This record gives sequence, structure tokens and C-alpha cells, in this order.
Amino acid sequence: MAFIWGKEMKMTVKDEGVLIFFILVPLLYPLLYSWIYNNEVVREVPVAVVDNSRSAESREFIRKCNASPDVDIAYYCKNLEEARELIGRQRVHGIINFPSDFAKNINRGTQAHVALYCDMSLMLNYKAIYMTVQGVSSRMNSNIQIEKSNGFTDRDDEITTKPLDFDEVQIFNPTGGYGNAILPGVLILIIQQTLLLGIGLAAGTAREENRYGYLVPISRHYNGIFRIVGGKSLCYFMVYCILSAYLLLVIPRMFGFTIMASAQALIGLMVPYLLSCIFFGMTISCMIRYRENVMLIVVFTSLIFLFMTGISWPKNNIPAFWQGVSWIFPSTFGVRGFLTISSMGGTLNDIKPEYEALWLQVIIYFLTTCAVYQVHINRVIDHVTHFGKHDK
Amino acid sequence: MFSKIIHIAGRECRQMFSNPIYFFCMIAFPIFVVSFFTTLMDDGQPVELPIGVVDQDNTGTTRHLTRMLDGFQTSHVVGHYPNVNEARNAIQRGEIYAFLLIPKGTTAGLMSQKQPKISFYYNGVVMLAGSTTFKDLKTISTLGSAAVGKTKLSMLGKTDKEIVAFLQPITIDLHMISNPWANYNVYLSTTMVPGLLMLFIFLITPYSIGTELKFGRAKEWMGMADNHPLIAMLGKLLPQTLIFLIIFLGFEFYIYHVMGFPHPGGVLPIILLGVLAVVSAQSFGAFAFGLMPSLRMSMSVCSLWAMVSFSVAGATFPVSAMDAPIQALSWLFPLRHYYMIYQINIFNGFPIEYAWIHWVCLLAFAILPLLVMRNIKRSMLEFEYMP
Repeated sequence: MAFIWGKEMKMTVKDEGVLIFFILVPLLYPLLYSWIYNNEVVREVPVAVVDNSRSAESREFIRKCNASPDVDIAYYCKNLEEARELIGRQRVHGIINFPSDFAKNINRGTQAHVALYCDMSLMLNYKAIYMTVQGVSSRMNSNIQIEKSNGFTDRDDEITTKPLDFDEVQIFNPTGGYGNAILPGVLILIIQQTLLLGIGLAAGTAREENRYGYLVPISRHYNGIFRIVGGKSLCYFMVYCILSAYLLLVIPRMFGFTIMASAQALIGLMVPYLLSCIFFGMTISCMIRYRENVMLIVVFTSLIFLFMTGISWPKNNIPAFWQGVSWIFPSTFGVRGFLTISSMGGTLNDIKPEYEALWLQVIIYFLTTCAVYQVHINRVIDHVTHFGKHDK
Repeated sequence: MFSKIIHIAGRECRQMFSNPIYFFCMIAFPIFVVSFFTTLMDDGQPVELPIGVVDQDNTGTTRHLTRMLDGFQTSHVVGHYPNVNEARNAIQRGEIYAFLLIPKGTTAGLMSQKQPKISFYYNGVVMLAGSTTFKDLKTISTLGSAAVGKTKLSMLGKTDKEIVAFLQPITIDLHMISNPWANYNVYLSTTMVPGLLMLFIFLITPYSIGTELKFGRAKEWMGMADNHPLIAMLGKLLPQTLIFLIIFLGFEFYIYHVMGFPHPGGVLPIILLGVLAVVSAQSFGAFAFGLMPSLRMSMSVCSLWAMVSFSVAGATFPVSAMDAPIQALSWLFPLRHYYMIYQINIFNGFPIEYAWIHWVCLLAFAILPLLVMRNIKRSMLEFEYMP
């Protein structure tokens, strides 16, 4: 077992391809990713204004929009056609249009309308514009109500405009940012995907170097499944213990992502996660005939796995069929568990279903790995005895 | 010359039949990807998201508020919790995405005009679920306020029209151009799926060129083209272009025609973009191999390029909000141009000249391999495969 472990370790360092996937990608890719999202939120989305009212009220509205952090009034246009042109040229992402009777309606006591046109090609831009305009209109509404309601004191006015006060608290994501939400999941996924790539590449190489295309070389060191599986997985596990520490402890601190995991919870989750990824990778690796094929099979799955975890599209809305499919992969439980313990400060108890599922996967994939290697060992033995007869 | 190209194309077809990985990466996986994304977000918008209520007041008014919340399409009240801690634990366990806190004395305070305060807490980690539930909870709170005002005003003998005008002097008419349902399937599938299809093209192209070296067939291949690299490449890539075109245009037909995704730009930009996306992705793959004539290196670079594409395409997080160096780098990714052309010419229906610079960029990607033709030829004739 130690021999196989040593050989695998040596290969990890010597084989350039494995080195890239085991060391270089996990080391550098998160840095790039964090850099892309490090601004977290969308600010100052450019908007065009078509003001047919040209009144004190409409100008107040525009001023308040411009003063908000998320919207920037970039252009004043004569008509909608001109503003539409600006959307086509990507100069603005929304149009605020005041009809000519805007001020008249307000002062007359009938409802005034503001038309808001949003470019829907980017949800975050749309959200920024819509939320801002809505906020501005509700603040102006309050002021108008106060003028009309003839309260005696300021407190009267407050109560008239807002009889029921409310507070909104976004928890577990203090910046409300995109990176903070999506990166923890991506980090966990990187662990699984690079393991699949690295193990697959190593297995492909082993088969190519083998004269007869077998996964297991003909050697006296390789005559027990548990030795082979144990030796190899121990090597991967050791390398990834260090990498996980870097990915999950160093990277989030470098970029200031929310991280609240206790050591106990983190170890409790990561041990079964790494093991299930390793055995899953080793099971898959038997299908790799040529070393480069592994990239064709694994790379595209990253995005699919990410969507399956429910980090983007909520998991309650994933159709039952895909929910079932997602249970096959360690990343589904790994990401969910990690978000709970790290982003939401949960304990190991909160992720009981996840780590139980992961341990179940460890057992199942360990058995399948053994089965796969047994098949390959049998083939080698067949081969040897077959040729042995020939020689006689 | 044409007969040579056809001849090489025939040889390529035989190779594709003999190695099953081609079938998987060119037909099976792409179809799987298309069906995955389009069925995953079939609802269009998240519906019936589980939320909780911490109702410490427990009066007719607060229960009415809870019922109203439950009545929204996007929210579904699944749990009542005695206090904030338990509700927070439920969020941590993943049972709910948000909860509404109604403290004791809310109704009494409302009646005696003491401006009571209710709070809602929503999970910012699952962003889409968080913002969707947030919207519902905000509507409820506003409606709660409005209900009080309405009762008071109708008591004074105001008409409904007057009440509306008093409670909401300014209203916003929201026009969501092209996607009035805020349908996430329309929003995400139109960029994520092409991105994945381009990923397959990115990888298969250097794979098919590189395996010539790997299996020692490079000289035979070059020989068939009289050592003319352009003919060799054209012949080799032609069958792949045809298959990928069928897949890509089939995908576009499926989403725009069968699923009815909005495409006011019409058919012409859809077809042009489909063709150009396939060709530019193939060219990028060939270019990557020409620069680094090693199977592994070129495929690694293409994988990296394809995965980073999804972020820098700017479909989920706007490029304009990224750091300046990344904004500049985004020009080097075909998917970025694909997305820009899609949203300007197809989704928003502006004429092609509005996105001309992105069309030019995609065309530039398409002719990139011409720069490395000599390199490809040299590597095919002189290099040995190194694992």
C-alpha cells in the first residue's frame, strides 16, 4: 500500500497534467474568480430620462434617483425614441418617462403615473433600477401625504404615512453581494471537479502506459484491491487536505467573504466530502480510455453541478427528476452543507442530512471503486494466465 | 483541391465513428445540456418558496397578514415558529428562505396609532430565493400600512378613487422590455446553453487535431493534403462544423420556435449568430492548438477559457461592474460577444449595426487560425506526441 501511495505521490508531482489539475487550477482559479466578482454589487446603473412634465415634482424625482447609490441619470432625452436608441447603443439600461400631466395630477389629487422601461437582458441591472425608482416614489408619496393630511405634530405625520413600520434584514450576506453568495459554492465545486480531472487523467495515463491498456499494471505490488484503492486514495486525500485548507480558509479571508464555520463542523463535512469525491472520481476513471478524454467528460459538468446544488435556481423549484439525479454527485451535498456551516454559521447538527448522504456516498463509491478495480485485476490475471499458457 | 477536402472529410468521418467520445461530446452531451437547462427552469420564476412566520401577536389582523402572504404565487408559508432563534435555525437547516416577525402588541399598537414595527429577515446566500421572498414580504408590509389608511379614509367618507390617489399619489408603470414575466429560463438558458455548446466545440477541435499526433497519423493526414495545412484543416473541421451547426441551429429552433422565447430581432440574426458562434469557437480551438501544439496544453487552455466565459460574458453579473482589467479581458472571450449580439439584436430587436463591433470581433475569431497555419503544419510534420 505504501508503495502504491509513494508511486502515486511521485506521479502527482512529475506528471505535468496531473500537476496542473491538482495544484495549479485549485491554487489560481479561485483567485481569478474572486477577482471577477470582488465588486460584489452593481452601482450607478445608467438610466435615461424623458421628462415631458418639466415640473418641480418631476425634477425632484430625477434628483432623488440620481442621488441613490444604484442609479445614475446619464442622459436626458427629448422623446422615447431617442432614449430607446440609447438602450440599443448600450449607453443606458432603463428609461424613466414622465407624462406631461405628471405634476398636474399630483397637485390635483389624482394618481400620477411614471413609466419605467427596463432592459431585461441583465437581471441585476433591472433590479437596481426598479428598486431605486420604487424607493424614490414611495418616499415622495409620503411627503405628498404629509402635506395633505394636516397633522398637528411630526409624529402625527409619521403615523399617517406609515401606520405600520417595517424593517428589512438581509441575513448571512452582509454585503448583499453576488460574490459572497456564489463563491463559497464555487470553491467547493472546484475541489470536486479538479479531483475528477486529476484522478481521471492519472488513470488515463496509467492505461496508456500499460502495454495492454489495463488500469492496473502487472506487478506483484498490485495484487490486492484494498492495497490499490487504499494507496491511491490516501495520496489524493493528503494532497486535498492541504488544498481544501487553502481554498476554504485562506481564499475567503483574502477576499473578505462571510466565513463562520467552526473547525469541528468544517472537518466533519470535508472528510466525507473529500472521500466521496475521491472514490467517485476513481469509479469514473475506469471509463477513461485516453487521458485527454477526461477533460471532454468532466469540464462541462461543472456548470450543471453548480445549478444542481440550488445555489442559483432555488432547490425547491428544481424538478423532482433533476433532484434525484443531483443526489448522485457529492457536490450537491457538499455545497449545501458548506453554505450552511460557513455562510450561515450552522453547526454539524444542522447539516445532518447532508453529511449522512455524503457518508452513504463514501460507502457506495468505495464499493464501486473496489468492484471496478477487481474487474481490471481479473482482466490482468486472465491476460497473464492466457499468455502463460501460450508460452508453454 | 475540393476533392482533397472531401477526401480528408471522409477520413475524419470514419475517425469520428470509431471513437465514441465524438458521439458523446457532439451529440449526446449537447442534447443533455439543452434539455437540462430548459427543464430545470421550466417554471420561469421561482414559485411557492417556503417561508416562515414568527407571529407573537397572534390576532385576527396578523393572521390575515399571514394568509395574504401565503396567497402570493412566489411564497408559501410552511412553518410557524415561536421565536426568532427557531426561525433562524430553520433557515440554517434549509427549510425556509425567509421569515416575517410580528412582535407582540402589533395589532393593539396599530389601533392606538403607536406605529408598531414588523420585521422581515431573508437569506442573502441563495440570492434569487432571497430577493424573491423579499419582494413579497415588502408588498405585504406596504399593504398592511395601506389597509390601515384605507379604513381610516373610508371612515371619513372618501371614495375609492380618492383613497387610491391619497395612498399612492405616484405609481410606477413598469415595462419589462421583451421579458415581461421576468422569466429566468429566457434569461439564463439563452446564454448558459450556447456557452456549454461552445465549450464542447472548444475542446473537440484541439482534441481532434491533437489526436492525429497522439496516434501517429499526422503525417498521413498532412500527406493527403499535399502538406498544405489550410486544406488539411478545412477537410478535418468540415464534418464537425456541419454536426455542430445542426446541433446549434436545432437548439435555437427549439428555444425560439418551440419554447417561444422572445426574439423580436427575427430569424436572420438568429441564424447568422448560430453559424458564427460555431465557426468562431472552432477557430478559437484551432488557434489555441496552433499556439501550443500540445494536446494537453491546448485543451487545458480551452477549458479554462470556456469556464471563465460564463463569468465574463456578463450575463449574470454585469461586466460594467467588474474591475477595469477584467472589462478589457472580456473582449477576448467569444461568449461575451455572443451574449452582446444576442441581447442587442435578438432579444431587444435592434438592427445588426447596433452591435457591429461584436460581429466584427466574432469574425476576427473566425480567421484567427490563419495566423498559426504554419505552426500547425510544422508541429504535424516534426513534433512527436508528448503526454
